[in-house]
Amino acid sequence: MKKKIRNILLRSCALVVCFILMAGMTASADTPYKTYTIDGYGYVLETQSAYNPLAAITKVGETSFVNPVDMAISKEGNLYIADAGAHVILVSNLKGEQVGMIGEGILQTPTGVYVAEDGTVYVADKDAKKVFVFDKQGNLTAEYGKPTSPIYGNSMDFKPSKVVANKTGTMYIICEGNMNGIVQLSPVEGGSFLGYFGTNYTSLSPFQMLQRLILTDAQRAQMLSNIPSTPTNLHIDDTGLIYTVTQGDQDMSLKKLNIAGKNLLDSDPYWADLPAAVTTGQYHNILVADSDGYIYEYNEEGELLFMFGGRDDGRQRIGLCNKVEAIAVDDNDRIYLLDSDKKQIHVFEPTEFTNLLHESLYLFSKGQYTASKEPLSKVLQMNSMFYYANQAMGHAYLQEENYDEALKYFRLAKSFDGYSDAFWEVRNIWIRNYLVYAVAAIILVIAAYKGAKKVYIAKHGSVEKVDITHRSDLGAQLRYCLHFMRHPMDGCYGVKREGKASWACANILLAAFILISIIEKYFSGFLVKNVREGRYDILTDIGSVLIIFIGLTLCNYLVVTINEGEGFFKELYCAYAYCLTPFIVIKPFVILISNVLTYNEVFLIPFANIVVWVWMLVLILLTLKEINNFTVKETAKALAITAFTVLILSLLVCIIYVLFSQVIDFVVTVIREVVYRIGS
Amino acid sequence: MEAKKKTVKKRILGVIILAVLILLAAICYYLFTNSGKKDGLEFGQIQQTLPEPAAALSNGTTDTSKTLEGHTLVAENDLYELYLYEPALSIIVRNKSTGAVMESTIRDNEKLANVNETWKGFLQSGVVVELQEETNTIQKKIGLEASGASVTVDQIPGGFHAKIDYTAQELGFELEVKLYDDGSITAYIPENSIYENAANKKIGNIYLFPLLGHTRLGEVDGYMFVPDGNGALIYLDDKEGRFDSGYVQKVYSSDIGVGESYVLSLLWDKYETHNDAEQVLAPVFGMVHTKDRIGYLAVIESGEEEASIYATPNGAYSEYNWVTASFRKCATYIQPTSNSGGSVTKVTDRIGYDIKIRYLFVDGEEADYAGLAKRYREYLIEKGELTQKEDEFKVRLDFLGMDVENWMMWKKAVPVTTVDNIREIYADLEAAGVTDILTQYKGWQDGGIYDIPVMSVDVDDSIGGKKELLKLMEESEKKGIDFYLYTDAIRANPETGNTTFDTVKKMDKRLYEEQNYKNVYDTFVFWTPQKSYDNLVKLENSLKKNNINNLALSGISNTLFTYTLGDLMQTRSVSKYLYEQALAKLDEDMTLLLESPAACYWSYTKAMTDMPVADSDYIYTDQSVPFLSIALKGLVPMYGDYVNFEANEKEYFLKLVETGIYPSFYLTWEDPSDLIYTNSSDVYSSEYNVYRDQIIDYYKELKEVNEAVNGSFIIGHKAMDNGLTVVTYDNGVSIYINYSESDITADGVTVPALAYQIVAGGVR
Repeated sequence: MKKKIRNILLRSCALVVCFILMAGMTASADTPYKTYTIDGYGYVLETQSAYNPLAAITKVGETSFVNPVDMAISKEGNLYIADAGAHVILVSNLKGEQVGMIGEGILQTPTGVYVAEDGTVYVADKDAKKVFVFDKQGNLTAEYGKPTSPIYGNSMDFKPSKVVANKTGTMYIICEGNMNGIVQLSPVEGGSFLGYFGTNYTSLSPFQMLQRLILTDAQRAQMLSNIPSTPTNLHIDDTGLIYTVTQGDQDMSLKKLNIAGKNLLDSDPYWADLPAAVTTGQYHNILVADSDGYIYEYNEEGELLFMFGGRDDGRQRIGLCNKVEAIAVDDNDRIYLLDSDKKQIHVFEPTEFTNLLHESLYLFSKGQYTASKEPLSKVLQMNSMFYYANQAMGHAYLQEENYDEALKYFRLAKSFDGYSDAFWEVRNIWIRNYLVYAVAAIILVIAAYKGAKKVYIAKHGSVEKVDITHRSDLGAQLRYCLHFMRHPMDGCYGVKREGKASWACANILLAAFILISIIEKYFSGFLVKNVREGRYDILTDIGSVLIIFIGLTLCNYLVVTINEGEGFFKELYCAYAYCLTPFIVIKPFVILISNVLTYNEVFLIPFANIVVWVWMLVLILLTLKEINNFTVKETAKALAITAFTVLILSLLVCIIYVLFSQVIDFVVTVIREVVYRIGS
Repeated sequence: MEAKKKTVKKRILGVIILAVLILLAAICYYLFTNSGKKDGLEFGQIQQTLPEPAAALSNGTTDTSKTLEGHTLVAENDLYELYLYEPALSIIVRNKSTGAVMESTIRDNEKLANVNETWKGFLQSGVVVELQEETNTIQKKIGLEASGASVTVDQIPGGFHAKIDYTAQELGFELEVKLYDDGSITAYIPENSIYENAANKKIGNIYLFPLLGHTRLGEVDGYMFVPDGNGALIYLDDKEGRFDSGYVQKVYSSDIGVGESYVLSLLWDKYETHNDAEQVLAPVFGMVHTKDRIGYLAVIESGEEEASIYATPNGAYSEYNWVTASFRKCATYIQPTSNSGGSVTKVTDRIGYDIKIRYLFVDGEEADYAGLAKRYREYLIEKGELTQKEDEFKVRLDFLGMDVENWMMWKKAVPVTTVDNIREIYADLEAAGVTDILTQYKGWQDGGIYDIPVMSVDVDDSIGGKKELLKLMEESEKKGIDFYLYTDAIRANPETGNTTFDTVKKMDKRLYEEQNYKNVYDTFVFWTPQKSYDNLVKLENSLKKNNINNLALSGISNTLFTYTLGDLMQTRSVSKYLYEQALAKLDEDMTLLLESPAACYWSYTKAMTDMPVADSDYIYTDQSVPFLSIALKGLVPMYGDYVNFEANEKEYFLKLVETGIYPSFYLTWEDPSDLIYTNSSDVYSSEYNVYRDQIIDYYKELKEVNEAVNGSFIIGHKAMDNGLTVVTYDNGVSIYINYSESDITADGVTVPALAYQIVAGGVR
């Protein structure tokens, strides 16, 4: 608590200080860039500006930048800028006033700079092939050249481009041209090589694997080599976790590595295309700068919070960059972005919106869920679709054991795991409260039924079993489907010979099938549903079922008629409609159950689905065989030809569609051209 | 027999073909004759007379032997003297009481030792021409003395008349400069004095007194004023070479017709990430020397639609700070000659228009940006461009009715605010005390907000239909709510209407297409101004038939372009002229509301919507100032951008207090997540239930502020270094706004952090 108060005090002091520094500057209402976030379904959507451009540092004191390529911020709030062109590290305060210069006459091409907590400065120098260490005053205290260890490799060059160091002084160095990973160097004995760290791996696509199998060695040698990319940049946070970004790595361009080199982040579709630098803020938020000027902010799990910024195409507005090389965050959450092309440092200031979000991130990480609800609800008021806020709100309520509210927010966030947990609790409470009554009610119902039956029998003698095998009205036909389902061969005979089926009955079954499939699609439990909430597209659903069913039946009929099958179209149509019965009978129960399941029992649903579909498949195969009086061989043949026919038919439809649209296009173009010629 | 049948058949076939051909011809003719006004307009037809300033011409006797730094006195009045150095047409304006001067060229050659010849010519001439040779895309600047141009000066009452002949380039024009008693100076180049005799040499751009009031490095205290957004300043301090270019912006939007293209970069090839910079709404710029207490506001009175405003800080090109306007007289464009990328560069004909700038000089207490803004207000009133309008505080609540999303092969309506919803919202707000409301209803028409153009009152059924809407409008009128139907008057949607004719073709005769990277409709085209005019007339008739008198328009209010009609080039002046005609016609019996209108249409709008509160944050601008607000507050109501989309709500609220701009909200009844698949997917936060309390709070607080100053003008504005801003009104009320995070006490007034304080007159 004490610490927290101090923290807040410090922060507010810093705020006052910086306000005096930046006085006279008011943030503009309209930023030069848009800000995006994602909603629960992962759709990218615009949101309020997360950071507003504040200022641009174009010079440090009297010194202009020559070729600035890296930047670090010290705990004291000084910027250390590695200028490869001027061969020095420039030290400036956050206003852009020079406070020092490091490495004059020592450094050749400083490309990476890192400032440790105690003020020790580590510089990676590509051309000197060394890592230099300076103390707080700027005196050279150590330098490390190529490791002598044989494990490092004699032929491997040592061209350090970026460097960070942990609290014990162990250095993590990205070396140009070294694909093995990050070089881990201990400061003892003038730099002993500890091994490689955080190596990227390549993956082979199935096509590449096939190529490797088929091609000769000579051919393979000609192919592009599949070498893992070296990380582009890295960062170390207070807890010693290492963050790397890699260009050209499609799936995993951002990694958060623990001390063992294990990546703690999951793959995510919202990585930067050309990540250039990474840093972390004081809320464990991760910030990645794209070389093209985009900035991505993630929470500690690597879930996207914001992305904003963009390239400057001659607009000359603060906040747009051309070639970003480094990113840093100060204690006031301001972002500093180094642009080596424009030779400027752009400063961004968090907006009220982002401050709220950061506050909630902070509280959330401290486990103060209840307190985090207030800023979160303000964030949600400003943008109700904000994925992270909804999810965090859900977690907060879950921790508070307010499961109903948690359920609501998890549902908004489409956070399935969270929803499942919350629902388990809700269900548990329900069961605890009502199980006795429910069981009692069921027993009562059964007893009442039995009692009624007894009374009935006492009055009328025994219950007559309705015999439907000899009736053929619609009701009987409908009931016959239950029989068909269990005895398909017998059922097919009934359909073919005994008039157990009619167009009306088949159509009713088909309609029932459509109805249930629609209900399944839209009213299944949240956890098993695949469609977007609140979106209905019923005509498409009906249409697709009808087209598939009728199309398949038609194709099948065409095929069997030329294969000496005995079935007529009506018979096939009706029998196939009867084949849908398992779906109609079983699915309603599955749908009902899916609404009360959590992820713990959800395996029941796919299991039930497999049963239904296998059953239907068996029925269809038997129907095909029985109605046409085929042998097994003939059935297989008819099936294969049907598949082929379907393929041809769909191809035909496609061709006709394409041709037709071409014709229409042509006619429209001609008319437009004529009209245009006359008109102008 | 058989043969006969054949010939009969052939004849029938022939007749059928003939009939089809005739029918086709008839259709074509019909379309042709119905495709709007086809006649292009030329300079002579749209020429407007330029009124003289109201003040008297300073044509008293002047002592022409009096000189100042090699310049001779040519005109004077009680306040100012005008000196001229003939060979370079260099002028000096001297304030008689303080002796402060503003010079228009650099006469000291030593100071230009490091400058190349081209820039030297620019810095040393009162008039500079950029020469368009052949089809070169780079235009050469030519000054007066060095290029050997001949200058003949005649004294005329109140000033001088100069005939400038660039003999080597075989072109020239005449310039007239006059001083008036109110301290204003006009500079005028009439179109009909311009001649270009050489076939391959044309005037590209003209600069008039580009260095007027210039300063060197940080030698003089002061700032340049540019009309970026609400207004911005560039300080005259030593920039230490930080910038290699300065502010350049075309007045009234960029020109889509001559393809000022830039490479667009999209995030993940899908998302447009840039917001456009603020437009120049008023054709003004200024220079103030704060220590010498002299300054001027330049108003471009004619030719503003072809002007670009330049403000260049020291370090970019030279050591001097200068602000000016350039006037485009011809432009180059790329004419594609094949689909595979072949192209040639072409030059347009001369763009015909008069050039006239009026420099309004200020001194003493008035020599600051607030003084410039006041001077601009007086100017607008004098010119009759703006009369004081009814200015009651109102909150703007815009509603989005419906948009459409793709659905199978059709479009499906996504209604988000129906007429009934609006009624309910009004009732709810009325109960909470919010009664003064202005509303624009967007997306009311059949087919939704992007089914444009709208030519008749055809209301979409999904929001309640026409009868209901008319009823609501009637009710609103009774309640005193200003209810406007909104539409874009410039854009056309090729998917919902026939856009074969009358759409804008750029100078290269290719159709102009606006890409917006949205889900449903990704491309829009522009109507020609002629067709926009026709569409608006049709809409007006339909509105009148339904007794609707309120119309809100966007697009037309701040977009101008060069285009081709047949083979004729139609200039931005033509678009401006036709739009003005259309607005004037509508204004006769209707009340118009224009979205961030350009200065030339200010007299037609009842209020300004989407007024910027700040500037675009260019790297070289130092301070954002509410220039337009100071000029217009009390004259015409202003409504800001939508509060929903502001990330810094507190700061934005204080900005509204400071600038006197009224708040705006964009509302929907339904959750805006419904809109995710529509073109309105950028509306991410708009649900009424979310904003209800905020609307009520804003309304109550801002109503109080604005009632304290209702009908008054702003006479002073000061932004202090500690984050305190003081705005003073002419009724004695001062508003102290504290943008800092700590309480501030000034003039005996304590203002809490991030808050404001109204101080009535005399309390000080």
